[in-house]
Amino acid sequence: MKSIIVANGLTKVYRRGREEIHALKNVDFRANEGEFVSIIGPSGSGKTALLNIIGCLDTPTGGHLQLNGAEVSGLAERDLVKLRRENIGFVFQQFHLMPTLTARENIELPLLFSHKNRGRNKIDRVLQMVGLEERGDHLPGQLSGGEMQRVAIGRALINDPHILLADEPTGNLDSDTSLMIFDLFRELNRKGLTLIIVTHNKDLARRAEKMYTLRDGKIRVCEIFS
Amino acid sequence: MNFLSLAAKNLLRRRGRTLLTVLGVAISITVLFSLLSLNSGYEKELNKEVNSMGVHILAVPKGCPYEAASLVMHGGVIPKYLSASDLDNVSNIEGIELATPMLMHQFIGKDEETGEVVPHVVFGIKINDTKRLKPWWKVEGRYFTDNETDVMIVGHGLAEKQNYSVGSVMQAGPLKNFTVVGILEQTGDQDDQFHFIPLTEAQMVFNKKNKITTIAVKVRDVGKIAAVSEQMEKIPDIQVVTMTQIMGTIMNLAGSARSLLLTVIAIALIISAFGIINTLLMSVNERTREFGMMKSIGASGLDIARMVMVETVFITFSGGIIGTLAAIVGSSLIEEFVKGMLPYSPKGSLVSLSPELIAFALVFSVVLGLICGLYPAFKSSRLTPMEAIRGGVE
Ligand SMILES: Nc1ncnc2c1ncn2[C@@H]1O[C@H](COP(=O)(O)OP(=O)(O)O)[C@@H](O)[C@H]1O
Ligand SMILES: [Mg+2]
Repeated sequence: MKSIIVANGLTKVYRRGREEIHALKNVDFRANEGEFVSIIGPSGSGKTALLNIIGCLDTPTGGHLQLNGAEVSGLAERDLVKLRRENIGFVFQQFHLMPTLTARENIELPLLFSHKNRGRNKIDRVLQMVGLEERGDHLPGQLSGGEMQRVAIGRALINDPHILLADEPTGNLDSDTSLMIFDLFRELNRKGLTLIIVTHNKDLARRAEKMYTLRDGKIRVCEIFS
Repeated sequence: MNFLSLAAKNLLRRRGRTLLTVLGVAISITVLFSLLSLNSGYEKELNKEVNSMGVHILAVPKGCPYEAASLVMHGGVIPKYLSASDLDNVSNIEGIELATPMLMHQFIGKDEETGEVVPHVVFGIKINDTKRLKPWWKVEGRYFTDNETDVMIVGHGLAEKQNYSVGSVMQAGPLKNFTVVGILEQTGDQDDQFHFIPLTEAQMVFNKKNKITTIAVKVRDVGKIAAVSEQMEKIPDIQVVTMTQIMGTIMNLAGSARSLLLTVIAIALIISAFGIINTLLMSVNERTREFGMMKSIGASGLDIARMVMVETVFITFSGGIIGTLAAIVGSSLIEEFVKGMLPYSPKGSLVSLSPELIAFALVFSVVLGLICGLYPAFKSSRLTPMEAIRGGVE
């Protein structure tokens, strides 16, 4: 099977004044195309740091990263923008929706930056995919947490990315809603999307095909479920 | 969706702040626009006025030419005099069509109703010369002749203000009564405010025998004004003021008032620019996380910068439109205000609202936005997505 993400010896050092924080210490990470991978670990273990580096939102202090077989480390921000735009969809714990835009417009927003015009059909399809056919014209303030996260997922999907990265996507949701979001992830995965999901919730994490456990900036376990 | 509608929605999110910023810009643009329109109107009117004057050159006693010029325009007393021989010398110069002596004098009168003290300006003139010099003069009643005594012609405005009519008797100068024989029809210039009496009578009454304050000269060929005034300057007692000089002097006076106003405006604009920049930085800082999110969904630094720029120009352009409209609507008010501040103002409308000026004000407001947006746009475009997303959380 083809590897879509290959990370070797990733390190990340944050500096806070004179103090150095080693958020990632020599992390190896691998995901195959179409794989559903979860990352768990206690707070502060480096999950977000890892996900952001994989998503090219942040650069590692050391180590190598390949996406789709191409070396990413050392690329300039200008090239990283393109890479993100074409390959990666991002979902956050806090949804980060624009409060002034309707669900439909929020989903449409990435098209403004990719300068693509996908037409109403595509947006309707995405709305349907995330189960919000009826909610397209609602503002985020008029939606529930689960619905807002669905909008965010729809926004991440509009540019047809190869990889969806989600950083604690259910962190702000109750358990039933969380389950529904995970079901949505599973469904997207079945359609061929590669998913990397960071979560606190071990039960949810076990719904993935592969689970990495991070502690103290290091990968401790990598379990594979079938 | 496009950058414009996104910007509009963002700005509407913070209505109050947006409105205040827009108003700030609008006020600056109003002031700028008003001043520029006043300025161009002022120059136009001034030119018109000077061109319609029948007098091409004035000879006044040596002294400060600026003061003299402004006195002549306002009607004031020049405390020095020329003599009859000066007049002869001037008259002999080649190219002069007419040189006529005048004696200008000021006396204090009392308003009959209010008892207020008001200065009056009297010109002693030679009537036939004056009629040639100012062919537009028309009189209700009659002109006086040069040998008459106790007679007076008054300007239209003055007559109206003081309730003079043909036949009125008034006191001017030391214990001397004059009968108004004629009232000038409105001339539209300073003559409307003056008294006119025969020159010889004026010299008697004001005890200035054979003395004159001014020689008004009309040349045969307007193109020769410079040559004639050069000849006149050779006469020792005489200071020559050409009408173009007077205009220049007034322009200079107006110019200094203008540069003061321009300074004030420049300062106001700079302050309002910093206000805009400050507001933008504030709103950009508040939206750091939003920009991070945008970068994570594919926005480049340039996209973010463009968004900030579009918002800024949106604000300043709206301010420009409102400010220009306000200036147009309020132009008459502003005109009154400024007329009171200028050293000399023509009678016509000072405000000239040209399409070019409106275009300029609007373009200026856009440029203002581009300048103000530059730093906040640059600053927010430089954020790495990580810094941006973390920025709001921690
Ligand atoms: N920008 C930063 N500056 C300094 N320290 C940071 C920064 N980002 C993360 N850290 C530190 O790095 C470590 C890992 O953080 P993070 O990846 O956010 O953990 P997790 O997502 O697993 O909770 C933590 O100790 C955190 O305090
Ligand atoms: Mg985290």
